[in-house]
Amino acid sequence: MATVLRTHSAFARLLVGKNGRILNNSLDLGAKLLPESQLALSSKHYSSYGKSPFVRKIKEQYNYEIEKNPPEWEYVKRLLPFTTIPKIIPKDSYPSGWVPPKEEALNHPYFLSRTKNAELPIYLKITYRGMRKISIIRKIEGDIWLLNDEIKQYLKQKNKRYVETRVHEVARLIETKGDYVNDLREWALSKGF
Amino acid sequence: MKSSLNMASILINAIKRLHLSPQIRLCSLNSAAVTTTTANKTINILKKEWEFPPLYTKPREVWIENLDTVEEKKLGLIELHPMVYAAPPRIDIIHSNVIWQRKYRWVSWAHTKTRAEVRGGGKKPWPQKGLGRARHGSIRSPLFRGGGVAHGPRSGKSHFFMLPFHLRLHGLTTTLSAKLAQDDLHIVKDLELPTDESQYLVDLIENRNWGPAVLIIDDTDYAPRNITAATDNLLHVNIMPVYGLNVYSMLKHDTLVLTQAAAEKIEEKLLYHLHSDNRERMKKFKIDQV
Repeated sequence: MATVLRTHSAFARLLVGKNGRILNNSLDLGAKLLPESQLALSSKHYSSYGKSPFVRKIKEQYNYEIEKNPPEWEYVKRLLPFTTIPKIIPKDSYPSGWVPPKEEALNHPYFLSRTKNAELPIYLKITYRGMRKISIIRKIEGDIWLLNDEIKQYLKQKNKRYVETRVHEVARLIETKGDYVNDLREWALSKGF
Repeated sequence: MKSSLNMASILINAIKRLHLSPQIRLCSLNSAAVTTTTANKTINILKKEWEFPPLYTKPREVWIENLDTVEEKKLGLIELHPMVYAAPPRIDIIHSNVIWQRKYRWVSWAHTKTRAEVRGGGKKPWPQKGLGRARHGSIRSPLFRGGGVAHGPRSGKSHFFMLPFHLRLHGLTTTLSAKLAQDDLHIVKDLELPTDESQYLVDLIENRNWGPAVLIIDDTDYAPRNITAATDNLLHVNIMPVYGLNVYSMLKHDTLVLTQAAAEKIEEKLLYHLHSDNRERMKKFKIDQV
């Protein structure tokens, strides 16, 4: 319907945006047209928009009061989407096998912070069609060179061979040549990261 | 070799501990504002309760300065989150941000005419055979002098592209951190000036050694009248709201001056993105998505 609500009522004038132009939408928003006012909305054609009469006598369809912070709002909040990634609820054990970081991790001269999804920032990068495998430790804080020495020694002990590593001091990451993701994860969890 | 390495690391750690825990820290408590008296001077330290507090790296403590006198007065200390203000200086990310900011608004208007657009050249210049000359069909072919250009630039070439979301995000954190580390980031209480003379601001910048170009960031769209009037004639001193903060402008100006409210708002916004699910923002940018 092309008729636009023309009214003196401030509330109804608000609706003469996108919603106001569609009759049903404006009604849904709470404005009810009384029988007398619907004369203006009948399919009568006017010579111009300016000639059409104003819509009068609009009554609110629903009676409501605006209340701030009612007790029921807690239940609404449960349904709202998370703004940030929620914090982890502490439990004794997790069925997925995920291990939470420990307090003692803060006592080392270096630190491996978890990602925003609380995972260990240790990844495997496979390139050259699986010919080159590089394990990467990211998000290192503190003494990166000491951490490098320690993981080098740990990997050497565990795998009985020398493992090449590369330290990127600015990007705060260490790359090790070869697939040592599980060993590195084990090491990080033993340190409490 | 091993013992010397260990010794070195112990020394480094000792130095770090010393550096990270200055005298003021020992007296501070967990409350929001802590007042410490050291030798007949009081220092207000603003402590913050972050939703995601830093675990290992200590928060950066920055002086809050004033703008109402030419000489610098230290009004207090503010704690800033290390994820935003102490990120590693990734020059590569800064560079990609600068290239992006130059390119996304650049439209190249260089233009050449093709052989079809150059006037004339409809007639075969000489017969195909019998003259001993090379065969040609048009005097406007790209081989001819005055002919059209093959594969030349065509005008209205857009260089728009969108940098990935996290590169934009870390571009801001790393540039802010680099500015702070180089002592080019200053935090002021507010932007209230006693006069609207630009000479006052020139003197202030000269006195505090802020370098000629200064970028002032406030958290509102409307700066106080005095500072807008004072910076009006100074082309190298600019005011910007928080939502206009960008890598290019931060690098273009020698010094970045944040109001306390702006510094906190920037921190809050960037921390929100660093700790939220950004998969929607990481999707491929579509030009007609709005």
